[in-house]
Amino acid sequence: MSIARGQAGRLPFPRRREASRSAPPREFDRPRFLKWFLVAFLVFTLAPIVIVALFSFNSSKSLQNFDGFSLQWYRDFLNDTQLRESLFASLEIALVTMIVATILGTMLAYGLVRTRARFGGGVNVLMLIPLVTPEIVAGVSALLLFTQIGMQLSLATVMIAQITFSISYVTVVVRARLAGLGRDVEEAAMDLGATRLQTLRLITLPALWPAIVAAALLVFALSFDDFVLSFFTTGTSPQPLPVRIYSSIRFGVTPTINAIGTLMMLISLATIALAVALPRLVGRREYRAVLLGEEA
Amino acid sequence: MLLPGGAWLLLLFAVPLGITLGISFGTTDELGNPLYGWHPENYEEVFDPLFAPVLLRSVGYAAATVVLCVAIGYPIAYYITRFGGRYKYVLLGLVVIPFLVNYLVRIYAWVALLSDEGLVNGVLSDLGLTTNGVQFLNTAYTVVGGLVYGYLAFMILPIFAALDRMDPAVIEAGKDLYGSPWQTFRHVTWPTTFQGVLAGSVLVFLPAVGDFVSAQLLGGADTYMVGNLIQQQFFGAGNWPFGAALTTVMMCFLMIFMIFYLRSAARAAREARA
Repeated sequence: MSIARGQAGRLPFPRRREASRSAPPREFDRPRFLKWFLVAFLVFTLAPIVIVALFSFNSSKSLQNFDGFSLQWYRDFLNDTQLRESLFASLEIALVTMIVATILGTMLAYGLVRTRARFGGGVNVLMLIPLVTPEIVAGVSALLLFTQIGMQLSLATVMIAQITFSISYVTVVVRARLAGLGRDVEEAAMDLGATRLQTLRLITLPALWPAIVAAALLVFALSFDDFVLSFFTTGTSPQPLPVRIYSSIRFGVTPTINAIGTLMMLISLATIALAVALPRLVGRREYRAVLLGEEA
Repeated sequence: MLLPGGAWLLLLFAVPLGITLGISFGTTDELGNPLYGWHPENYEEVFDPLFAPVLLRSVGYAAATVVLCVAIGYPIAYYITRFGGRYKYVLLGLVVIPFLVNYLVRIYAWVALLSDEGLVNGVLSDLGLTTNGVQFLNTAYTVVGGLVYGYLAFMILPIFAALDRMDPAVIEAGKDLYGSPWQTFRHVTWPTTFQGVLAGSVLVFLPAVGDFVSAQLLGGADTYMVGNLIQQQFFGAGNWPFGAALTTVMMCFLMIFMIFYLRSAARAAREARA
C-alpha cells in the first residue's frame, strides 16, 4: 500500500486541503443508505473479534452462553509449559527480526536514495518483489533453501525467513521519509565542515528517527503475527504461537484459544498504536520545524 | 550501504526461488528426499485433470474475493472520504482496526461463531428457526467470506487514498452539468479513482490466490485451493518436487500481476514527484 501512496508517505501529517476548497455536503445530501452500510460493516467486522475476547473470560466451556466472568482460560494458557514457551519464542523471533530487519532496511533505504550505485535499480526491484509475493511462495522457497544447505529447522530459520520478508517494509517506510527530507540540510552540514559520517549521525538519522521507530514497530507486529512463513520454516519445539494455535484450531475450538487470541490481539494492536503515535510525538520536536519548513 | 541488505535479499530471497525452480524439475529418492534432475512430468501433473480443478478454483475464489472487496470496500471508502468530515481518520481507523488483528485469530473467530456448537447456531435454535443447526462451515461461501474478511483492508486503503486525492469540486461540476448522481459517479468519480481500485484488486488477488488458511479452517476437502495442495506436498507424505512445481506455476501466473502493479506504482510515484 505504502508504495502506491507515493507523495502521501512523504508527509508526516495528512494534508487537510479539501476543507478549504469546498463546503461539506449538507445533511440531506448524505446518502442514508451508505451510512447504514458503514454501520453494518463495522458490526460485521468488529463483532467476531469482540466475541472472541468476551468468551475468553467465560467461566464455562460454552461458546454459546456467557456464564460469568473468570480468568481460568488465561490461567490454563500460562500454566501450559508448551504454550508459554511458544509465547516467548514468538516474542524472541519478533524482537530479533525487528532489530536486524530495521538495520538492514534502513541502510538499504539510505543507499537507494542517497547513493548512485550502478546496481541500484536492480536492488530496488529485488526489494519491492517480496512485498507482493504470496507468503506461501516465500515459505516454500525458504524451506527448500534450509533443507538443501542442511540447516536444522529451528527458531533461527524462522527468524531468517522473517527478516528476509521484513526488510522491504522498513525500506519503503524509511525511504518515503528520506525522499521528503531534502538534501539541503545535509549539504549545509557538510559545508560547515561535517564529515559524511557526522552528517549521517547528527542530521540524517535524527530526522529519520520517527520513520525508523514506526517501521521497527510495524515489523515487530508483522513478525509476531506471522503464520505462513513460520509454519514452513519452524522446527518442532518450541513452535511460534500462531503455528501452535493453528494446530489446536484444527482439533476444534476451545476457550483457551480465545484467551491466546485475545492476548495476541492486545500485543499487536498495542504495537501498531505505538507505531502510529510515537512518530507524531517525536516528530513534534524541533526537527519537524527545521527540516520540513513548518512552523514549530 | 546497499550491500548488506541487497546481498541478504539476493541470497535469501532470489536464490531460494531459483532452488524452488530447480527442485520443481527434480524427483525424489526412496526416502522422499528431493533429487535434482530433468523431470518435466511434475508440470504435466500440475495440469492433470485431478489437480487442474483446484487451480481453477483458487483463481475463481480469488476473483470472487476481489469483486466482493470492491463491492464492499468502495462504498465504505466513499462514505468516509466524502461524508466523514473531521471524523474521517477516526472512521478509517475504526474500519482498519479489525484487519490489524492476526489473520489466524480472525478466521478462528468465524470458526467459533459458525461452527455447529457456535453462537450463531445457538441463537438460531433459541429463536426456533432451526432444530438441527445450519451447516455454515465447509462451504465455498465461508471460504470466500474468510478471504474477504482477511484482505479487505488492502482494497479499502488504496481506494481511500484515490478518493482522498480527488478534488470534490469535480463532483459538483458533474452535478452542475445536470448529471444525475449515477451519471456523475459513472463518468466522473469512478474513472478518476479507477487506478486505486486496480491497485487494491491486485493487492487482494495476490495473497488470496496463495491463501490456504481460510480453505483449511472454514472449508473442507471440496473447497481446497492451490495453497492447501502445496502445503500438503511439504507436510506429511507429500512429494516435494511436485509441490515446488505447483509453487513455480503459481508464482509465474502471479508474476504478471506483480509486474503490472509494480510498474503502475512506480508511475504513480513519478507523477506524484513531478
